[in-house]
Amino acid sequence: MSRSGTHNRARNEVAIVGYAQSMVRRHAEQPLGAIAIDTAKSAIADAGLTVDQIDGFVGSALFPTAGAHAAIDGVSIVTPHWLAERLGVNPRYAAGFQGFGQIPGSVALAVNAIASGAADYVLMHRALHNPVGQYHANPMREAPGPMQWTAPQGFFGPLAMIALPYTEYLERYGARRETMAAVVVEARKNGARIPWSYWHDRPLTAEEYLAEPTIADPIGRFDCDIPVDGVATFVFTSAERARDLPNRPVHVSGFAMGQPTHRRLMLHWPLDDIMATGAETAGRLWEHAGVARDDVDLPQVYDGFSPFVYFWLEVLGYCGPGEAHELVEAGGIDSDAPDGLPVLSGGGALGNGRMHGIPQMLECYLQLSGRAGERQREATVGLACHASPHYGGAVVYSSEA
Amino acid sequence: MSATQRPLPVPDEQSAPFWDAAAKHVLTMARCSQCGAFSLPIDIVCDHCHTNEPNYSFEPVSGRGTVRSWTVIRQSFLPGFEDVLPFVLVDVELDEQADLRMVARLLDDTGAPSRVGLRIGMRVAVAFEDLAPGKSVPAFVLDES
Ligand SMILES: [Zn+2]
Repeated sequence: MSRSGTHNRARNEVAIVGYAQSMVRRHAEQPLGAIAIDTAKSAIADAGLTVDQIDGFVGSALFPTAGAHAAIDGVSIVTPHWLAERLGVNPRYAAGFQGFGQIPGSVALAVNAIASGAADYVLMHRALHNPVGQYHANPMREAPGPMQWTAPQGFFGPLAMIALPYTEYLERYGARRETMAAVVVEARKNGARIPWSYWHDRPLTAEEYLAEPTIADPIGRFDCDIPVDGVATFVFTSAERARDLPNRPVHVSGFAMGQPTHRRLMLHWPLDDIMATGAETAGRLWEHAGVARDDVDLPQVYDGFSPFVYFWLEVLGYCGPGEAHELVEAGGIDSDAPDGLPVLSGGGALGNGRMHGIPQMLECYLQLSGRAGERQREATVGLACHASPHYGGAVVYSSEA
Repeated sequence: MSATQRPLPVPDEQSAPFWDAAAKHVLTMARCSQCGAFSLPIDIVCDHCHTNEPNYSFEPVSGRGTVRSWTVIRQSFLPGFEDVLPFVLVDVELDEQADLRMVARLLDDTGAPSRVGLRIGMRVAVAFEDLAPGKSVPAFVLDES
């Protein structure tokens, strides 16, 4: 047994048995909570269950804006407790995940609840909101607490956050900003094929990517996922109970998360921090899931900011440190090519809208359950990443128990 | 000095000596009384020895350091920066201690890094921006020496 003692007693013991994904829109006509209710009911019905059978609710309600927008439950966020109450359920188990890697964090809550017997049928949801007005604009005139060390100096918001390690990457490895066009074009190509995507039928060309000015060099608008209104829900139960339900179950083989032990200025993410802690998370993932990288057919990397694609490819070992830009430049992530890595086949966040790690998770679910329709690929083992490698995590899924 | 719209630092009990020194254009760093290491940002717990009684003392430092990364900010999400857009932010490792990092504006730039030729590894020295009476915040200039 390893030092971390990660013998995984829940390996493939819990499965996704149903899902629903709302339309992804810049500004939905319905309130976010109303969409969440519809999506929850759809997912429960999709799983062949009724609302009264759902006894667990998990999710994350992080509202990822740096702006001065209020987090109001049911309006700009939706918590598991809000959803349970509005569905008229007194759940045996309800819990919210507080960290950065909200999707793997929420999946872990669902798996643990079912494996421990705390709940039998768990609804996991993620609801993302795009408030009216500039997403990250903040009129603050005073910077107290941790903010005093950054905001008065002009260091603020997630674009500057990701620009700094991306500049490090470009200079350290002699990479070119132009290479990232292949990442964004790939995400948008696949997102354009997805009916609910904000970017449905709207692929992007490399020329369009390169013509866009930067906002925080080397980050431009198309390097960032677009803020949206959207909700996704999944139903989890035990592998045993899943056998009696209509859809082919997709099992959770394992998951991993982490966080750096070295404290930094707010939003200060040096490249070495990202890669060092990310490598630990990747190691934990293979151990907890009981798979090796070569077993994975569908490695969905996170792309909320385009440089995360390079970082995840490298921490997961699909290439060496500093080589992801070469892999991408050589067409290595073209999911239509026979030998291309299908890392963004689900369109990712860049190709769907800011649904956090949902597109990665949903692509694993759809492909592994055989429900991807015209986009169906052959895949048995999927991997879904979310957030930065040093603050996020990943989940391994399998169509086989 | 015209009134800035920029957010001003709000000193607290722990950070007040840093901002008092900054007002006099002196950069200080917080030294842990237990292990002697510098930390930025300061905290209830020392980053290095994890004591929960760091009892920091603020000591003047050289203000010299090396650029570890940089970006050009062309759109600000905070008020008061419109007049200085585009501006360069530098991520600086201070000479006093390995990995002691500070992120602030690079002041003597034109906003166009191609003209500055800014690269990781360049040397910088601290400078200060006077935002309001008694309110100065650290920044950097290229260190030609
Ligand atoms: Zn200490």
